[in-house]
Amino acid sequence: MMNPASHLTSNRSRQPEHDPRRDRTAHKIRSLFISTLSHGLIIFVGMFFAVPFLWMLLTSFKSDKDVFHTPPRWLPHDAVRVEINGEEYPIYNVKTEDGVKQYAALKIESGVAYFVDPAYPDVVIPTKLQQGTERVAELVEEVSFRWQNFPDAMNRGSRPGVGASFWVYFRNSLVIAFFMIVGTLVSNTPVAYAFARLKFPGRDVLFVIVLATMMLPFQVTMIPVYLLFNDTLGWGDTFLPLIIPAFFANAWDVFLLRQFFRTIPEEMCDAARVDGASEWQIFTQIVLPISTPVLATITVFTFLYAWNDFTGPLLFLNSPRNFTMALGLQDFQGQNIIIWNQLMAAATVFTLPIIVAFFFAQKTFIQGIKLTGSKE
Amino acid sequence: MENSTERKLFGFKLPPKTVWTKRAKSDLRTGLLFLSPWLIGFLAFTLYPMVVSFYYSFTIYHSKRAPEWVGLQNYANLFADDKFWISLNNTLYMVAIAVPLGLFASFVCALLLNLKVRGQAFYRVIYFLPSIVPTVAGTILFLWLLNPQVGLVNTVLAKVGIDGPNWMADPNWSKPALILLGMWGMGGTIIIYLSGLQDVPQSLIEAAELDGANWFQRLWHITIPMVSPITLFNLITGMIGMFQYFAQAYVVGGGDSLGRPLNSTLFYSVYLYQNAFLYLKMGYASAMAWILFIIILILTLLLLKVSDRFTYYSG
Repeated sequence: MMNPASHLTSNRSRQPEHDPRRDRTAHKIRSLFISTLSHGLIIFVGMFFAVPFLWMLLTSFKSDKDVFHTPPRWLPHDAVRVEINGEEYPIYNVKTEDGVKQYAALKIESGVAYFVDPAYPDVVIPTKLQQGTERVAELVEEVSFRWQNFPDAMNRGSRPGVGASFWVYFRNSLVIAFFMIVGTLVSNTPVAYAFARLKFPGRDVLFVIVLATMMLPFQVTMIPVYLLFNDTLGWGDTFLPLIIPAFFANAWDVFLLRQFFRTIPEEMCDAARVDGASEWQIFTQIVLPISTPVLATITVFTFLYAWNDFTGPLLFLNSPRNFTMALGLQDFQGQNIIIWNQLMAAATVFTLPIIVAFFFAQKTFIQGIKLTGSKE
Repeated sequence: MENSTERKLFGFKLPPKTVWTKRAKSDLRTGLLFLSPWLIGFLAFTLYPMVVSFYYSFTIYHSKRAPEWVGLQNYANLFADDKFWISLNNTLYMVAIAVPLGLFASFVCALLLNLKVRGQAFYRVIYFLPSIVPTVAGTILFLWLLNPQVGLVNTVLAKVGIDGPNWMADPNWSKPALILLGMWGMGGTIIIYLSGLQDVPQSLIEAAELDGANWFQRLWHITIPMVSPITLFNLITGMIGMFQYFAQAYVVGGGDSLGRPLNSTLFYSVYLYQNAFLYLKMGYASAMAWILFIIILILTLLLLKVSDRFTYYSG
């Protein structure tokens, strides 16, 4: 059906008499135009989001040389190689007197290439590559994804030879994230339940304090907390300073959980109370089991936070064998020579678990973001 | 004593005075038991460190030696410290430009993603994905994209005849480069705006349409006021986050030359970190932290106060 309002505004001035068929065509053209324009705009802006992401993926599949190819190409390319006597050699298009031939280059030394025709591997043809202004040989390339970058980067680590690799960083990140998730779930749920459902003197004042701590910049508590963990407790260069605080609740998760717990019908808990259940029983046997969606949200967001965290590991972890992915990647980038394809491969591996988590729990992600963004 | 009048503290309504019956005592015990993880954490990791860092801010403290009381010396030194002002300036630049620009761009993106076209679910994923790329990975990716010689951006610019800037290597372009990086990862804000747009009652828009309001008038008089609480929320969280901007700048600085080029990426939190953990001036850094806290507090209250007039709350 046509929208009567748009019909009026669009056609009233130009067409005094109404021809229904022309109206319909005009409307069709107009909506096609709007739809094309919308798609065009969305895709144009979307390039800003998609291109960097694709560039990270594509760079991680390029060979060392291809990374610096000018002008840059989208797809990874590599030399076409041919096997001669058990060794692989790159193929060149070589201009000869008999036209362009495909020769394999055995070696290239000071501007002279030693070519062989793969059909007659015993006849070496030394050729000057630059003859006058003309370059006589061009490397033959094909689209080729260099998967080897991934094991190369992962086995390498940020500083080769110190016994730590990105595999180690990956495991460290996983271990820290796992314990932070456990701590966050265990500690925040009872606190949020108390703020949402229990009635006791001082509750509301304490909740205002919880909200107020959200505004407190981390830098204010950073130094004493650092000294407490590092000097007093001697936990420097261990995971404990990152994991232990997760077991003591935090304002954001308390707030998020409380919002959810408040939506649980009070009657359910009251019925259990009449039957003589204690608050702890109501919490563990009624409230927690029906809270799985919000617990999933907390899990995903804690994982995201732990996986992404840079400042915490930077403060407390010193030796490479204890690095997390974030720290290792920064360390890798901070080296004098930057190996971009391997760096991008490591960055891709770093990003992958989050992307996988996103596609498995898309609803949970979006729900969590909306919850954190919603006003009380 | 004053049971009849409402008790107030700083404008907050206080609950009525507690009568300490047996029931109240037992309720309190249960409540505190449930709260104990937060209570202990608050005392150990928030309140105690706050008190201590406030004390440190009046001392000279080089981690290994005992703190030495110097009164307001640290604060006086800070106000005379050029790098303090540089770092504050850099941070205010980001707060004043990056935060509003990011909000505006997020809102525009949310409008695009709210259009009734096919394939929106796919487009939304594309816009959102960069925001979950880890900060360090995203920053390194942008160092690569914006590489002055071989980066994708400058080679594409060169193709259309534009001589691209040196981005992260140029003190005038390093902050715009970081702003681009920030906008690439604004998917979370876009989603928040998008859910706000979807909550705008369709009836309001249709009524305005019938009254002959065009697209822009509907946007200006209905949509923008309806999402103003979200704008305020994003503005405040964005501002607080920007004052603590650290990881991206640390990665750009490569760790050992923080603030490069020419202190243009020496943000407040970076200089604070440098003082605390590289120069081991813990007292000085604590003073910086408290100044930061006070700035954030004042700006937040100011924003809340000013926004009263511009923010629309339904129901």
